[in-house]
Amino acid sequence: MEWKDENVTQAAIKVEGISYAYGDVEAVKDLSFEVAPGEILGFLGPNGAGKSTTIKILTGQLTPKSGTAQVLGIDVSADDPVVQAQIGVCFEEKNLYESMSGKENLRFFASLFGIKDVDTEELLRRVSLADRGKDRVSSYSKGMRQRLMMARTLVNSPKAMFLDEPTDGLDPVSSQAIRKLIKEEADRGAAVLLTTHDMWEADELSDRVAFINEGELYTIDTPENLKLRYGKRSVKVRVREGDGVREETVSLDDAAVGEQLKAAVTASGLMTIHTEEASLEAIFIQMTGRGLEG
Amino acid sequence: MSRPVSHLSIVRSILVKDLKEYGRDKLWAFLTVLVLVAFIVMYWVLPNSVDETITVAISPSFETMVETAADTAGAEVDSDRLDELVAGLEQEQGLAIVSVESAANIEALVAGDATAYVDGSQTIVVPKGARPPQGMQKADVNIGIVFPDDFLAATASGEKTTVQVFVDATVPEEIRVAMVGIVGEFAYAVAGDALPVAVPGPEEVYVVLGQDRLGDQVTPRESFRPLLAFMVLLMEGLVMSALIAKEIQQRTVSALLVTPATTGDVLAAKGIAGALSGLAQAVVLLAATGSLSVEPALVLTLMLLGAVMVSGVSMIAGSAGKDFIGTLFYGMLFMIPLLIPAFATIFPGSASAWVRVLPSYPMVQGLVNVATYGDGWSDTLPSLGALAAWCAGLFVVGWFILKRKVETL
Repeated sequence: MEWKDENVTQAAIKVEGISYAYGDVEAVKDLSFEVAPGEILGFLGPNGAGKSTTIKILTGQLTPKSGTAQVLGIDVSADDPVVQAQIGVCFEEKNLYESMSGKENLRFFASLFGIKDVDTEELLRRVSLADRGKDRVSSYSKGMRQRLMMARTLVNSPKAMFLDEPTDGLDPVSSQAIRKLIKEEADRGAAVLLTTHDMWEADELSDRVAFINEGELYTIDTPENLKLRYGKRSVKVRVREGDGVREETVSLDDAAVGEQLKAAVTASGLMTIHTEEASLEAIFIQMTGRGLEG
Repeated sequence: MSRPVSHLSIVRSILVKDLKEYGRDKLWAFLTVLVLVAFIVMYWVLPNSVDETITVAISPSFETMVETAADTAGAEVDSDRLDELVAGLEQEQGLAIVSVESAANIEALVAGDATAYVDGSQTIVVPKGARPPQGMQKADVNIGIVFPDDFLAATASGEKTTVQVFVDATVPEEIRVAMVGIVGEFAYAVAGDALPVAVPGPEEVYVVLGQDRLGDQVTPRESFRPLLAFMVLLMEGLVMSALIAKEIQQRTVSALLVTPATTGDVLAAKGIAGALSGLAQAVVLLAATGSLSVEPALVLTLMLLGAVMVSGVSMIAGSAGKDFIGTLFYGMLFMIPLLIPAFATIFPGSASAWVRVLPSYPMVQGLVNVATYGDGWSDTLPSLGALAAWCAGLFVVGWFILKRKVETL
């Protein structure tokens, strides 16, 4: 499947035709995409689609069987510590040191980047853990651990961030806190590759989304464009009429669309007006024949 | 572009973290202290002397034999001289003689069906299960010799006579042969003939190879010392295996490897942490057992290399296990063979060829030779060389396996 990304001018993350297989199972097939500084690219796909494998390749944990991947202009296969020093990775697993406190975890990881004066208080404050910094991670809830994982991702103020399902299974408050952080980091200028199978989250956070299924990239574009391209350009109007409900679809391409909508809005029995754009999940299913939760 | 942070700095950070984690693991910390204290106590409880006395029961008694011979010859017995001779025989180093009335008693004593109790020249044989007499000392009879009544007269006149020797099944072959030799020598002496072989006396020249431990035999305490020291290292090896396995199972190692830390940095830190903690405990054990008085630098070098070797094995075991039980299983699987050379030092004699090729053999043997037989640096160089080679080999294998494991997480 070929596509050309014309929106990116200077990529922080650049992937060209990478492939990877676990034995005979092809996890990633000829994948190509780019992420610009300050951009959030949502990587959407069901479990086993190849999202985590892609992140592993881009963070130097796996070497691609073919193709090239560059982060901040350096080939990740070279295992260059200069790249590692400028990236932040948030894993799907809560891989923290349980017997150490939140602060100790942050200080330890900062020391691996050669950062001696890391402001752990500020990092913990950003993830709403300022009052639990001295407690051991073993006493943290799942949401608190995930927030600490995000704080850990930020210890080196990364220029490229790889976030693997950062809000998976979290309560709405923790999820919202993490989404806010991701936005802030992108605003700071970090390129963010965010894998998720949460369509709503991808829609809210991502500047662009990429659909991946069975290791293949199906499409990549802004959520808006995808919805417009795959959705219907129409508005559904529901009006109460006597004891019944009248439903009317107004095409946005119709020459008289303005008058029709005006009439609908001013109608006395107006109940609802909905645009007919498709959800990302519906588009994904339409393109891949498979749901995101699979 | 140069590295953003040095390997040394990263290794130090991981090392400090590992030691912190290790100290906070209550189970392993408790086991470490428990093992250390238990081994130190065990060392001091073990006997520090060797009882090499062999108790020989004879029948009839020397007095009876002499009196029978005197009656036959129609001669008078000088009782004082006889007592002096018997006392001289009984004071022979390493030999205790118990006189028993009948051959049946001797057989019962050696077979374990009866027990001898001694008080001066009086001996009472008590059947198994019967109540022992008060105020008498128990004598564990290993060998029994039954002389014929006319033994002295027959040997003095040059006649052939038969002596029965009973031995306990546990008596080693060489002692059995020696006893037969003693009987023969005794007969020669009675007959007035000299042995056809010249044996130099203690005042003459003995060729002693190594440190002469005559009268200062290796005690159980000394025999167990290498075993205890090595078991402390192995215990530490198990702890390191568990910590490495935990790092893999909790995937924290993946978090390390997306920073400037390399697999080599992680492994170097683990190896140093394992070797340091193992060495520290071994030093505590050796110091608490007074084993650092001879060649302390050499003993510490041997222990350091041993600790590094065990760390290498720990990496293999830690990478192989999928969970706590699996790690424990692989840990024991790799560690137990390493204990064999240490067990071998408890028993006298040379180790089998296959034991000599085990990685722990040079360390254990080196430790025994230095602490027990006073070997120095030059004597121990071959052991140090072999141990260093094993360390390098095991570390490389452990390194490779753990690296593979990390890459496939």
